[in-house]
Amino acid sequence: MSPDPWIWIAAILTLMIFSFLFRDNPFYKFAEHLFVGVANGYYIVYYWYNALWPNLFEPLAAGQIVYIIPLLLGLMYFTRFIPKIGWIVRIPIGFMIGWGAGISIPAYFQAFLIKQLEGAIVTPQSFTNPISGVWAIISLIGVVCTLVYFYFSKEHKGILKPTARIGIAFIMIGFGASFGYTVMARVSLLIGRVQFLLGPWLGLID
Amino acid sequence: MRWYERIAAIDRRIIYIILSVLVIIPFFIPFTMKQNIMPQTQRLYNFIDSLPPNDKAIILSLDYTPQTMPETHPMAIAILSHCFAKNIPVVGMSFDPQAPGLAIDAFTTVVDGINLNALTREDSVIYGEDYVYLGWKSGRVAAEIQMGESIADVFPRDYFSISIDSLPLMQRVKNYKQVSIAIIIAGADYPQDWILYPQARYGVRVGAGLTAVMSPKYYPFLQTGQLSGLLSGMKGAAEYETLLLKNGYVKQLGKAETGMNSQSLIHILIIVFIILGNIGFFFSRKRK
Repeated sequence: MSPDPWIWIAAILTLMIFSFLFRDNPFYKFAEHLFVGVANGYYIVYYWYNALWPNLFEPLAAGQIVYIIPLLLGLMYFTRFIPKIGWIVRIPIGFMIGWGAGISIPAYFQAFLIKQLEGAIVTPQSFTNPISGVWAIISLIGVVCTLVYFYFSKEHKGILKPTARIGIAFIMIGFGASFGYTVMARVSLLIGRVQFLLGPWLGLID
Repeated sequence: MRWYERIAAIDRRIIYIILSVLVIIPFFIPFTMKQNIMPQTQRLYNFIDSLPPNDKAIILSLDYTPQTMPETHPMAIAILSHCFAKNIPVVGMSFDPQAPGLAIDAFTTVVDGINLNALTREDSVIYGEDYVYLGWKSGRVAAEIQMGESIADVFPRDYFSISIDSLPLMQRVKNYKQVSIAIIIAGADYPQDWILYPQARYGVRVGAGLTAVMSPKYYPFLQTGQLSGLLSGMKGAAEYETLLLKNGYVKQLGKAETGMNSQSLIHILIIVFIILGNIGFFFSRKRK
């Protein structure tokens, strides 16, 4: 067993969290609240020393007056706590939305819409390898049928009905893949904790 | 209670106990399950393996947090091992505030392991010459775009507060022109920003190592070539470890491969429970 007290604290807190699997209890609640508190404390200190101080207050202290603008924009967020002047918060929010939209919209069109459309189109190059050609056709059918399923301007009758049905099948396959990966991810986290408990704490494995 | 009602209503605590036992067993009764290498893992491995030594650097953005460590930490260790074995320079950085401690641990684990057995300069890995870790930066989108012009503007100092102008590696790596690929290891949506901004603007190649939950979202980017490779969860990490061992870059498998035995057993168990649940549901409905 580990002689390191920090390993013991981590192991005991892990077991406290696992105790929720049996039923909700004070040990679980204690560990949960401790985690929230520690996480918040960590973020506040980390942002102060690594973001706010070097990027804002240090340049201001060095006489770079222009940094007053981001300082004021940041302070405007706190006006939400004073109802009479709460409207001021719209200024920094507007600034952030403007910056975000300006930088994101062209990039999203380029990287998500146009590139993905290109990827969905079947070209002669898709058939350089017969298997990839077959997959390209399946992928195209999947894209078209799924889009038809989400087309609500016309009732799903006639040709639209079976097409939307095929679309549902593709969506279900997508959900199945996501579920399989989610199971793998959650089990991985459990394996990680078990490796920690059996290894560094109990010393039963390397 | 009839038999089909009973199997459809197994107490969740019994399921947890069986699950725990199956996770623990492979650690004490080791067995080997064959790893089929997925194409996206092979693609990333092949790309790194094809890079010439001591040429362009790899950006390794380590953006994972302690809760996703079992999946992502082995990926970081495997990729670093591959890069250092091939003498490919690595520029590490993080955009998640929880990541720097884990990133330093990954670098230290790999570098110490190599330098312990090194006899010559060629065998060893030296900070500032073969790799650097620039630390954490807030405002990642702006930072990723700005690095296309100058990395030093975004990270004037590294994690250890050393001016990056004084580091020999960073005198060669000024912006994305001296970078062959940016590999992002993350438990959240960080690679998307690299595809959206540095790739769209500067043509930076992007690879990713993601938690399994995140992976399905990134499959479309593989088909379009926007991602040059993808490691998916613990399985992706285990596959990369297998490739490194098979090609003689490491002497033993890492933690991900060990965990995959438990993973395989649990998957079989979950399939069994899903079948049992469906049988119970089917017979209950039939009776009604």
